[in-house]
Amino acid sequence: MMLNGIRMGAGLWHGNRKGTEKVMAQSLRENLHLVSDPANLDLSVEEVFHMMLGAACVSLEERPAQEAETITAVVGFGGLLSGACVFRSGSSAALGIAARLTGMEFVEIDDTVKDAIGEVCNMLAGAWKGRVPDLSANCGLSIPAVITGSNYHIHVQAPEFKLHHVYRFEQSAFEVTIICDGLQ
Amino acid sequence: MNEMRVLIVDDSSVMRKIVERSLRQAGLNPITVFEAGSGVEGLEVLSDQPVHLILSDINMPSMDGLEFLRQIRARNLAQGVPVVMITTESSEEHVKQAILAGAQGYIRKPFTAEQVKERVLPLVSAVVGG
Repeated sequence: MMLNGIRMGAGLWHGNRKGTEKVMAQSLRENLHLVSDPANLDLSVEEVFHMMLGAACVSLEERPAQEAETITAVVGFGGLLSGACVFRSGSSAALGIAARLTGMEFVEIDDTVKDAIGEVCNMLAGAWKGRVPDLSANCGLSIPAVITGSNYHIHVQAPEFKLHHVYRFEQSAFEVTIICDGLQ
Repeated sequence: MNEMRVLIVDDSSVMRKIVERSLRQAGLNPITVFEAGSGVEGLEVLSDQPVHLILSDINMPSMDGLEFLRQIRARNLAQGVPVVMITTESSEEHVKQAILAGAQGYIRKPFTAEQVKERVLPLVSAVVGG
């Protein structure tokens, strides 16, 4: 079957939804090393920033010094994998990313910047789960939530796995974290 | 090309602007763009305004893109108007649901203006004859 833009492959479906989830659940557990492969996160960041912002991001070894004002966007995963994709940066990276995405200039984290950062996080979450076929089909995304302020922490108890990478964007940096707190 | 009337449905105003910019970069000019932040708002626009093309996100609050599509068909709105889904969801199941709901095209976020051109132009040239 061909829809404009996507070719529907054959042989990937395993009967009804319930049956599909059973098969996928087994393969997700068995392929935990693929789901938690750190390279998928780097490739997802590269894809989103290259295609939507025309920018390259360099992976950094160390977390940058935290700015006074930070912005965090969270997109939840639900389904066979539960958890979240978390984007976090200081205001300078957020303003720069929003500017590249929209073609506008910003001097503060306003509603448009929050919207832009939420969308970036949404695309990162989608790109990341899209790299694992079993996840792509059996894991939904929430609407992005955006938090701004200073001196706040996001806690998750005993995740199944966590990927945390820092990237340089122009002269600033941002962090992306994938947290998996449940794998059915 | 005749003037295109396009409805863009996305809960992100930033993404609506990016989609509009991509359409213009794809050579769709002149265009009049109607924006809606949800499927509910999209239905309101369609009840008042004739359009040649609809681009819609899937994950949206209050009414998602798939339900929006079903409602368009159920209410006989925008008959014959191509609908293209633009979404982060690209699994076969989502594409299948979009086809069943009546979508003619599917663009995965992130996307390039070139991809928008490839997926949208064949659909609108059939509508407008440009």
